Amino acid sequence: MTARTPALLVMHSDLADALLRAAEKVYGPVEGVEVLSNEGLSREDLEQAISRRVQDWREGGLVLTDFWGGSCHICGVAAARGHGDVVVVTGINLPVLLDFLHNRDEYGPLALADRLLRKGRDSIRLHHGQPV
Amino acid sequence: MSWLLQRVDDRLIHGQVVVAWGQRLHPRRIWVADDAAAANAWEKDLLAAASPGAEVHVVTVAEMAAAWAGESEAPGGAFLVVRDLATALALVEAGAAVARFNLGGLHYAPGKTKVNEYIYLDAADRARARALLARGVALEVQDVPAARAEPLAALDPESAPA
Repeated sequence: MTARTPALLVMHSDLADALLRAAEKVYGPVEGVEVLSNEGLSREDLEQAISRRVQDWREGGLVLTDFWGGSCHICGVAAARGHGDVVVVTGINLPVLLDFLHNRDEYGPLALADRLLRKGRDSIRLHHGQPV
Repeated sequence: MSWLLQRVDDRLIHGQVVVAWGQRLHPRRIWVADDAAAANAWEKDLLAAASPGAEVHVVTVAEMAAAWAGESEAPGGAFLVVRDLATALALVEAGAAVARFNLGGLHYAPGKTKVNEYIYLDAADRARARALLARGVALEVQDVPAARAEPLAALDPESAPA
C-alpha cells in the first residue's frame, strides 16, 4: 500500500467541478481531490494557482487537465516543472477520473499516470446500432 | 498574404488559438513574438508542443519585425501571437506592417479595469491602444471565431484617439 496519490483537476469553465460531482454520483463522496478553473486567469496567474497546490505534494501527484494545448495543460506542465513526481495527465474524462479514484491508494503518481493513459485510450468505444 | 490572424493574448498559445481559430483557419505556422519566451529554450519547447498541427516559431520582437515581410509572401497561412499591447506596439514601431490586431485575452491584474469578460486594461494599455489606432492599426475584440468582432474603441471609449 502506498500513500494516497493526490490530484488537482484543472479544466475550462466549470468542467472540473462538474466532472468531480458526476464522479461522486458513481463513486460516492470524494475527499482529497482539488478543482481549479482557468476562468478569467492569465497564464501567469493560472500557473501560480497550480504551483501553490502542487508544491506541498512531497511524494508527487497528478495534475489532471482537459485537453492538450489548452491553457490548463500548458500551465500544468509549467507548474509541474521541477517537481519530479508531479505528472500532468491530459484528456481526462469520467471513466479516467473514476479509475483514478479507485486506484489512488494502490499506485504512486508515475504508475498511476501510466494506468490512466491506458484507461483513457480504452474508454472511447463505438457501438453501431443493429438492424431490428 | 499569409497572415490569417494577429492576436494579443496573455496566454500566448492555448486552446482558443489552437482549437477555435486553428481549426477554422488552419495556419501552417504560428509565430510567437515575445522577447522573454524567445530567450527561454524550455518555454519555446512547451509552446511548440502545444500546437502539434503547425510549426511554432518563438522569436523576439526584432526578429519578428525582420521576418514580417517574408512571412507575408510565404505559402500557407500564419498566426501571430503577442502577450500584450506593449509588444503589439513595439512590433509595429519596429516596422511590422500589421493591419489589425485581434484582442483575444488580456486578463485581470491589479490596476486594470474591465472592458469585457476577457479584456482588462490599465492607463498604459489604453495609451498603447491609442498609439496603435493612431497609426491606422485596427483593434478588434473577439475571443473566438463564433463571437462577433467589436472595435475596441466602441467598447472602451478611453482607448479611442482624441
